[in-house]
Amino acid sequence: MNRSAANSQGQMGSLIISAMFVLAGVVTLYDTLSYTDRDSKVFPQTVAIILIICASVSFIMRFIKPTDEGGFGQGIWWRRVLLISTMVLTCIAMPYVGFLPAGVIAFAGGLIAAMHDRWSLSNILLYWGSGGFIMVLFYTLFKFVLHVPLP
Amino acid sequence: MELDQFLAALTPLNLALALFGVLAGTIVGSIPGLTATMALAVLVPVTFAMEPASALILLGAIYTGAIYGGAYAAILLNTPGTPSAIATTFDGYPMAKRGDGDLAVALACFASVFGGMVGALALLFLAPPLSKVALAFGPIEYFWLSVFGLSLIAALSNGNLMKALAGGAFGMLLSTVGVAEVSADIRLTFGSQTLIGGFGVVVALIGLYCIPVLIDLVAVPGRHLKVEENVKAVRIGDAFGLAIRSKFNLVRSSVIGTLVGILPGAGGSVAGLVAYSEAKRTAKSHQKFGEGEPDGIMATESANSATVGGGFIPTLVLGIPGTPPDAIVLGALLVQGVRTGPAMFTQSGSIVYTFIYGLIIATILMLPAGLLIGRYAYKSIVTIPKAVLVPAVGFMTIIGTFSIRNSVSDVIIMLCLGVFGWVVARFGFAASPIVLGLILGPIAEQGFVQGWIIGDATNNLFGMFFGRPISQGILAFTLITLILPIYLARKKNKAHVELES
Amino acid sequence: MAIAMASTANVATAAELSGPVSYIIPFGPGGESDISARFQQPFFKEKFGQDMVISYQPGGGGAVGWASLNGLKGDGQTIMGVNLPHIIIKPAQKDVGFTTEDLNTFYMFHYTPDAIVVTADSPYKTLADLVADAKANPGEVTMSGSGKASANHLAQIKFDKLAGTLTTYVPFKGTGAAVTALLGKQTKAEWGYTTVGAKQGDAVRMLAVAMEERHPLFPDVPTFKELGYDMTGGAYRGIALPNSADAATTKMWSDMIGEINNDPAFRQQMLDGGFAMLDVDADGMADFMKARIEEYLNDAREAGLIK
Repeated sequence: MNRSAANSQGQMGSLIISAMFVLAGVVTLYDTLSYTDRDSKVFPQTVAIILIICASVSFIMRFIKPTDEGGFGQGIWWRRVLLISTMVLTCIAMPYVGFLPAGVIAFAGGLIAAMHDRWSLSNILLYWGSGGFIMVLFYTLFKFVLHVPLP
Repeated sequence: MELDQFLAALTPLNLALALFGVLAGTIVGSIPGLTATMALAVLVPVTFAMEPASALILLGAIYTGAIYGGAYAAILLNTPGTPSAIATTFDGYPMAKRGDGDLAVALACFASVFGGMVGALALLFLAPPLSKVALAFGPIEYFWLSVFGLSLIAALSNGNLMKALAGGAFGMLLSTVGVAEVSADIRLTFGSQTLIGGFGVVVALIGLYCIPVLIDLVAVPGRHLKVEENVKAVRIGDAFGLAIRSKFNLVRSSVIGTLVGILPGAGGSVAGLVAYSEAKRTAKSHQKFGEGEPDGIMATESANSATVGGGFIPTLVLGIPGTPPDAIVLGALLVQGVRTGPAMFTQSGSIVYTFIYGLIIATILMLPAGLLIGRYAYKSIVTIPKAVLVPAVGFMTIIGTFSIRNSVSDVIIMLCLGVFGWVVARFGFAASPIVLGLILGPIAEQGFVQGWIIGDATNNLFGMFFGRPISQGILAFTLITLILPIYLARKKNKAHVELES
Repeated sequence: MAIAMASTANVATAAELSGPVSYIIPFGPGGESDISARFQQPFFKEKFGQDMVISYQPGGGGAVGWASLNGLKGDGQTIMGVNLPHIIIKPAQKDVGFTTEDLNTFYMFHYTPDAIVVTADSPYKTLADLVADAKANPGEVTMSGSGKASANHLAQIKFDKLAGTLTTYVPFKGTGAAVTALLGKQTKAEWGYTTVGAKQGDAVRMLAVAMEERHPLFPDVPTFKELGYDMTGGAYRGIALPNSADAATTKMWSDMIGEINNDPAFRQQMLDGGFAMLDVDADGMADFMKARIEEYLNDAREAGLIK
């Protein structure tokens, strides 16, 4: 067995995800034990067994033939984390501060995360200005035209 | 008499309403999370003040436009704007990535107009006989249809069958979360209130398709899509040429779309997937589906647009709406005092025919309107700097997901699925099999359970599952789809070996 | 007196409503809840001058909507449709995020009486034909219906017991799918509502309806009672406010929906659609719900659907 490949990111990731799917199947089988209606058991049980088999085969195959396909690749982690965490933060803040102010958090996070050029006064004004315009536009569309009860 | 109704549909007001409807619908469809159902629901009261025919034309035009609009986000952002456009992402996004986004948008427009026309003409001329298709499809037929759809997972697996199947099975498990549709249990919620409503299809689509794109976009510098130098307009000529060459594909996909559209339990997403699967099965050797093959976009887009006309067939003839937008149109009709159901074509014939002509006019208007909006959509997605594009799309995913059922939990579920989808995709578990499982799982489960109950009650389980002609037909197609590629690959290998020896 | 009452209601509402009203249907479009809301919509606008915006919030058989209702603002600008037996059976089965008592239901405005529906060319000409077949071939008479532990399902179980038959219930997703299965002859009969008979017209025949008296739209269809089966009821539909709404707001809404319900044009439209009218206002709600809760929980317990 090629040791470096076996320990590589792609190999490990595939193994972990396969194992996770097997676990999901087992958890489903356990959950179905509590169902009162036979009709609601059949399908999840069948599918869970298929999932366990497929994920196990995938797991074993990786052990027999380790490859280094996959991996997180190149890219800057703090940008990815910033993007998602500000979006989550928006969800948490939304019921308290209202939709639009909360949306600004996600927008700012996304903007900073995606900004690879140098900041200059002109692009700060332009980007934030157009961002504000887009948000207000969508907010108006959803809240007042489509009557979605945004907080 | 027929001419009268055609002329009635052609009044300046109705034409203006059709054009407005198509434009508004296209924009609605292009925004993930903003569905035709939502737009129609809001517009129904507006139509109370109108002539019934005008109101119907407006509603029909919005619906038609929305199904087409779903293609923009699918092609340019890898995110189906509506569930109907799922299979559009398979080839649309790869095309956009290599710089052919303008071509893809134009192709989608031609295919949608063609498919929309086939569906509308079927509605006009063949509605009563075709409505029998809806009735011939019982639980077992739906079950086999979903199995056929799931067989596409194998075709999409890119050489890693076990991972794709595991993803599909996982998607099906996700579909069972929450209160069961046809049985009396609450499943896999682990006591959590958040999960009682389950994983909504649109929520999952936005999460699994759009969020990974955003995560990848922010991580590296550089442009979102490759841009060819000196391309000024949408490549209408090229697109038209490709569409002419693929006329068989367009006709076949439109017929599939119309037929699947008639089935009240299926819908545009299934139609697109079935048509895509058939286009891929009959592909010529040089075509590479999944890597930016124009025929893939044309198959899906013509099929999903054909479901609009097809879906109105059971709605108008039987009073059974095929899709949520159909149901809203049906509700608007009832309030207008039009009696739906079997008597509708004879009793309220003139309104019905004016509506169908309106639908045809809207479909024709989609050609200029679609190309025009498509051009702006493409240009703006290409030229907007990444630093504005990412937060704007991110904001859209949040507001769109929230609006589906006014729920913050749905937004959180969407984000979780997005991160999950991104991580697993990095290791070869693609999003599409999961989404296929999520969409087709409930159809498979309900069909199976109902078929089993009926077969068990009549002591004919085997005949129920394998003895019905339509089921046998679908089963045969499924087997061909699954086995033919393996057989051909074997044959090719053999030929290679013989050549070498 | 009715006019006087209506005018005072008008005065009160003009002061209270402050813009378009959001009417949430916790299901997808096309069902009976949606259709009856669509019927109310133009009358509301005409009588009270405000738009009524209908939106759909499907999920969990209505549970998603009802669990979220009390988190909404109780200022009278948001209302939500409620359905019996759903809001009674669901919380009794498992924790679904709301209880029947939590919901501030202020008006029950109609119900769809249970009915056995067959296709026009069915060999079952009368209910007696169906009962005879079910007795001769236990389990072989398949009947489609909407969902499990639903009004249709409870009716099937109850009827089996009253008639001493054994039929097979096949659950479908919604009434539309159940009717499609019937029309396609996938099942031999359907447990539906009088609305199915109104919608499908000549394509179907109703064998009996679960009402005290015959439905005006179907003078030829007997009631179960006439045929010797003590069965009345169906699915009841009403409207609720978030429970933070004060008594004045609840009263205002109860009066408004009552006024729409008393409009002859509205009643006629509903009856033509196959619905049966009901007038239970906020004051009478407690008694009405108490009786229904007892009835449904008893039925569900006997059917083995809840413990």
